[in-house]
Amino acid sequence: MDATLHSLLTGFSVALQLDNVWYAFLGCLVGTLVGVLPGIGPLSGISILLPVTYGLNATQAVIMLAGIYYGSQYGGSTTSILMRIPGEASSVMTCVDGHAMAKKGRAGAALCIAAIGSWIAGTFGVVVLTVVAPPLATLAVRFGPPEYTALLILGLIFLAYMSSSSLIRTLLMACLGLLLGMIGIDNMTGHFRYSFDLAELGDGIGIVPVAVGLFGLGEILSTPSTNVVGEVIQPRLRDLLPNRQEWRDAAFPIARGTVLGFIIGIIPGSAHVISSFLSYALEKRVSKHPEEFGKGAVAGVAGPESANNSASTGAFVPMLALGIPTSPITAVLIGALMLHGISVGPTLVNDHPDVFWGFVASMYVGNLMLLALNLPLVSVFVTVLRIPYAYLYPLIIMFCVIGVYEVNNSVVDVWIMLIMGVLGYWLRKFNFDPAPLVLGLVISPILEQSLRQSLIMSNGDYLIFFQRPISLGLLGVAAGLLVLAALALIRARADWRTRLAEAEAGEAEA
Amino acid sequence: MTLRADHVAGAAFIAFGVLVIALSGDLPMGELSMPGSGFMPKILAGFTIAFGIVLIVRAGESRPFAEIEWNDAVHAAAVTVITGIAVYFFEMLGFLTTMVAMMFVLLVAIERRPLHYAALYSFGVVGLTYLTFVYVLKTPLVTGPFGF
Repeated sequence: MDATLHSLLTGFSVALQLDNVWYAFLGCLVGTLVGVLPGIGPLSGISILLPVTYGLNATQAVIMLAGIYYGSQYGGSTTSILMRIPGEASSVMTCVDGHAMAKKGRAGAALCIAAIGSWIAGTFGVVVLTVVAPPLATLAVRFGPPEYTALLILGLIFLAYMSSSSLIRTLLMACLGLLLGMIGIDNMTGHFRYSFDLAELGDGIGIVPVAVGLFGLGEILSTPSTNVVGEVIQPRLRDLLPNRQEWRDAAFPIARGTVLGFIIGIIPGSAHVISSFLSYALEKRVSKHPEEFGKGAVAGVAGPESANNSASTGAFVPMLALGIPTSPITAVLIGALMLHGISVGPTLVNDHPDVFWGFVASMYVGNLMLLALNLPLVSVFVTVLRIPYAYLYPLIIMFCVIGVYEVNNSVVDVWIMLIMGVLGYWLRKFNFDPAPLVLGLVISPILEQSLRQSLIMSNGDYLIFFQRPISLGLLGVAAGLLVLAALALIRARADWRTRLAEAEAGEAEA
Repeated sequence: MTLRADHVAGAAFIAFGVLVIALSGDLPMGELSMPGSGFMPKILAGFTIAFGIVLIVRAGESRPFAEIEWNDAVHAAAVTVITGIAVYFFEMLGFLTTMVAMMFVLLVAIERRPLHYAALYSFGVVGLTYLTFVYVLKTPLVTGPFGF
């Protein structure tokens, strides 16, 4: 524990350097704007702004990008409460009671509760991350190829099981992503695979064109500007503080949402989305007045907002400790660090303590910054919300093009982005969630290499995965999840995932 | 039988899986003790085909294909074509020219915005972005034959 505290202090000495504070501030500000604007989610925001970090060192880059990530979680609540349009998916539940509170003249209180809840949840998440990540990384150093293979397979199965769309759809998307990850030179044999004589494809398809295409451009193609209309409720600054009763109503939901969100955040999948839905369901269940939900219940804002922020931080645990992305956003962050020559994995904490601890400490600073930013600047964000979408989306397309081109100075990447945009549009039409595709793309090289290394190690014997206790345990959990999913299929009974999907669809339509 | 969304999606994934296998013809599978470069892609293509079949079998749960709304397809196609043209000329004409033209065309042709607003906005926003990237962020952007 002493060593952790000492390392954390070192991290603060890095995070509190003036330039790092500036990049944390910039990340939080841009992230909040990204969250506020409908049509750009955190993933597209991070992907589009990735090239801006090229001139920075790895620590500054990850501090800024993480700021964008958790800033967007904060910012998403603003549009939800003031316009009833979720700035991003995890804010869908906040729309319901947040906007109802706003219509009752309590917009300021709703925004304040969302901000305070997010701050408490974010800070709690960072504290747990500080304590949990280093020992987990120490354990993960003992992982060999079979353990990594089992862990990645478990991650994919978990993702499919937790997904609110169907298991088959998620697995199909993951397969597509894994296949896209096979494009380029095979690291173990040097064969060119599916590169069609294009030298640019030799290094494979990058995560940035795929993520920007699927989530940035795909979202724009699916959102005609005529469909983006909404009336913004202007909160009065003097009403920003909740009254005593509202504080009381918010306290326990914030606490429950925080813990629930963090636990779900560690699990692969769209954790921040799932956590907010589960938190809303939990609050409704434990409430003495469930009939108030949908009509401006404070708990309906406090719980989900705390949960999605806590989940965002929770997702950093497997990323920092194991080098495994549990969401497309952490996958892009891993990609960003790799662009700066930093290999993310169990050795990160020892090989690059300044990056690891600087990043962790910057999250404490960033959370405080967001609290200071979100409330006083709410009128500025409201002004941004008044920019017509017809003017906004051409700007976003321009940033998509610059963002993707600047990664490798390659126009082929921009074409890939365009193709992925069309694919993203098509996938949305057929109710496929593109997130597992991005995740599959990122883990594809690691999964293939670890699987092939395991088979070489065992001279082609698949039993190697069952002879080592850690991989056996991980595969056991994966098998258990598959059995649970199969049981639900056989009984044709709606389990909690189906109900979640229905709630998600219902709220999105409302 | 009603054609459903998952019939079409499943068929597309099966076709994709078959295409991957066809394109993997020259990639060696290797042996279990030394898997080749075609090992994983072919397994994954197999899974894609299998999941595609399951999707078709369970297509009854999905909505009819005819019910999918395509009223935004014209907008999506127009945006894609205009962006595609801009991408084609991006390296030839440079960032400033292509992006100003792309924004202007998007605003005028698709969004039916007044010409002077569209021109002012396109020049202003693209110019500001150019200055920010080149002079503030020190990130050079593609230049065209005119030097910008």
